[in-house]
Amino acid sequence: MSNPSAGASSKSKVGSSQPSETSFKRKRGVFQKDLQHMMYGFGDDPNPLPETVALVEDIVVEYVTDMAHKAQDIGSKRGKLSVDDFLYLIRKDLPKLNRCTELLSMQEELKQARKAFEVDEEKLGTLE
Amino acid sequence: MDQQQPPPPTPNAPPPSSAVDPPPQPQPQPQIQQQTTPTPPSSTSSTAIPNPNPNPIPKPLPSAIPPPKQPPQPKPALPSHQPRSAAAFSRPWQQHSAQFTHFSSSSPSASSSPSPSLSSQPRGSIALGVPSSHSGPSPPSPSPPQSTPFTGSFGHSFGGTSSSNVSQARPMMRGIGMGSSVGSSSQMRPGGISAQHQQRPLQSSLRPTSSPTSQSPSTQNFQGHGLMRVSAVGSSSSTPSTLQTPQSPNQPWLSSGAQGKPPLPPPWHRPQLRAHIPQQHHSLQTVSQQQHVSSPQVPPQNISSIQQQEHFEQQFSQSRASQSLPHQQQDSRSQGSANQKPSSLAMVQPSTVQVTQNKAAITESDDSGGRILSKRSIHDIVNQIDPSEKLDPEVEDILVDIAEDFVDSITTFGCSLAKHRKSDTLEAKDILLHLERNWNLTLPGFSGDEIKTYKKPITNEVHKERLAVIKKSILAREAANAKHIIGQTAVNTKGNVGKAAANIWVLQMLKYEKYHEALFFF
Repeated sequence: MSNPSAGASSKSKVGSSQPSETSFKRKRGVFQKDLQHMMYGFGDDPNPLPETVALVEDIVVEYVTDMAHKAQDIGSKRGKLSVDDFLYLIRKDLPKLNRCTELLSMQEELKQARKAFEVDEEKLGTLE
Repeated sequence: MDQQQPPPPTPNAPPPSSAVDPPPQPQPQPQIQQQTTPTPPSSTSSTAIPNPNPNPIPKPLPSAIPPPKQPPQPKPALPSHQPRSAAAFSRPWQQHSAQFTHFSSSSPSASSSPSPSLSSQPRGSIALGVPSSHSGPSPPSPSPPQSTPFTGSFGHSFGGTSSSNVSQARPMMRGIGMGSSVGSSSQMRPGGISAQHQQRPLQSSLRPTSSPTSQSPSTQNFQGHGLMRVSAVGSSSSTPSTLQTPQSPNQPWLSSGAQGKPPLPPPWHRPQLRAHIPQQHHSLQTVSQQQHVSSPQVPPQNISSIQQQEHFEQQFSQSRASQSLPHQQQDSRSQGSANQKPSSLAMVQPSTVQVTQNKAAITESDDSGGRILSKRSIHDIVNQIDPSEKLDPEVEDILVDIAEDFVDSITTFGCSLAKHRKSDTLEAKDILLHLERNWNLTLPGFSGDEIKTYKKPITNEVHKERLAVIKKSILAREAANAKHIIGQTAVNTKGNVGKAAANIWVLQMLKYEKYHEALFFF
C-alpha cells in the first residue's frame, strides 16, 4: 500500500485509506551538517556527538511536522494554507513571531528591490 | 537442567573458535553449563561463574574464551577483580583451565561466595558463585572487560572493578538467582571499545541462552549495537516485536541491540526477571540521572530508555543536555550505581521491547515487584533541578507513589494498545501514542523512521454546503446593506436559498446566516 515512491512530500494520500506504516521513510541526517554548527553556536562542543545531533534533528522534524499539521487544520477552514496560519500558531511566542515578521518584511523589501532593479535594467536596455 | 544441555554445545563451540567474546552465554548459568561440556581449558578466564542457581553449573570456565583473548579485553580491570574474586571464591582462580571439569558439580565456592555471577564466558565475565574455585581467577579477569554479565549485588567488591567492567560490557548479569543487584547497570555504560567486543559475544550469547541470562545477552547486544543509536532503536522496535513479552518491555534500547535475538527466558526464569526488571529500571534511572554517556552507542539508547522511563520532562531536557557532558564523571558514578543495580536491565529481552516502564525499578530482587522507584532517584532528580533543594519525606513518598501510578497506567494502556494492534509485544509506538494523545507528551528520539502523515479533518458534505450557502447569502446581504435595501435583500436571499432546498431548510439557513454574520462582524 502507500506509494513506494515516497516522494518528497510527507503528506501521504494514504491517510484516508490505511494506517500508514510504510509511509514515506524519513531520511536521517537531513539537518546534520547545519545542526552541528548551530549547536556549536549555542554552546555545545564543536563536534557534538552524532547521537545528540540525531536527537536534535528528531526534535526539529517533529516540531516542523506538528506545526505544518496544525497550520493545515486552520488553513483548511479558510480554504487554503497561507503564511498567516503559521503566524497565528506562533502568536504566543513573541521572539519567534517577531523574527518571522521581520523575515517576511525583509523578503518583501528584497522582492521590490529586485523588481526595481530589473525595471532599471530594462530601461537602460531600451535606452541604449 | 535443560539449559545445560543445549547451551553447552553452542556456546562452547563459538568461544573456542571465535575466541572471544563474551561468551554467548550471557548468564552465569548457561555459561556454567556450557562450560562444563565442551569448553577446553583455554577458557580460563571464562569464568567460573558462581552459580547460585540451583542448576548445577558444571563449569563456568569453558566459556571458550582462550586465555589469550581475555587478556586484551579484561585489561587492568582483571587484576583488580582477581583478588576480589579470589577472596570471594576462596579458591585459586587461576586454575581454570585444568579444572573446568570440576565446575559442574562442585560449587562449594559458588554457593558460599556471593561474588557476582559473571558469565564465565570468555570475556572475563565474573562468575559468581562458580562452583569450582578454579575458574575463580580466570573469570574475574576476563569478565571485567567483557562484561557481560556481572551481578552487581554481590559485586560490591566488584564495584570498583565494575567500573572497568562497566566500561566494557555489562550487561546483564542477572545473577541467576542472585537476585538483586546485578550489575546490569554496567550495561548502560558500554565502553566504546568494549561495545565492539561485546557485539560478538552478545550475539553468541543470545543464541544459547534460553535461560534467564537471556536478558543479559539482550543487553549485551544492545551495547554492542549501541552504534545504531536512535535509529536502531526505532528500527529494532519494529522488528523484534515478536520476541518481546510484556514483561520485558522495559528496555527499549535493549531491543535495538537484540534484533531478533533470543527470546524470553524460560518461564521459570520469569519470576526472576520480574524482580530484576525493577532493578534494571532503577539502574537505567540512575544511569540517566548520571547521564553517563560513555560511548556513542550507549547514550542514545540509554538516554532514550531513560527518558521513557523517567517521563519527567526535566529529566528529558537534562538528559539531552547531559549527553554532551564529559563521560568520565558519569561513568564512574554510573558504574558504581550500576553495579548496585542488578542486571535487571539486561533482563530485557533482546527483542524489541523498546518502550519500557517508565521508572527504573530498583528493588532488590523482589519477586513481587515492590517499589519501582526509590527515594534515591527522587533525590537525584531534585538535585538536577536545584542542588540545594530539600524535600520532606512525605513529599518524597508521594512523589514515588505518583511515579509508580504513572508508570502503571502508562504500561497498562500501552499494553491494551498493543493488544489492539494484534501483537503480543509492547512496543515503543504504543507508549508513544498513549502519551501523545492522552498526556500531550512528546518524546523525541523514539519515533523511528515513520513520518507522521497528515489526516485532513473530516468534513461533512452537508456542512460544507451550508457554509457555502451562508457565505453567499452573507455577501449578498452586505451588498444589499450597502444600498440600504434590506427588504429586497431578504427577498433575494430567500430566492437564492429556495433554489437549494425546501422552505424549512431555508429558515435554518437564515438562522445560520445570522449566526455567521455575527461572527464575521465580530
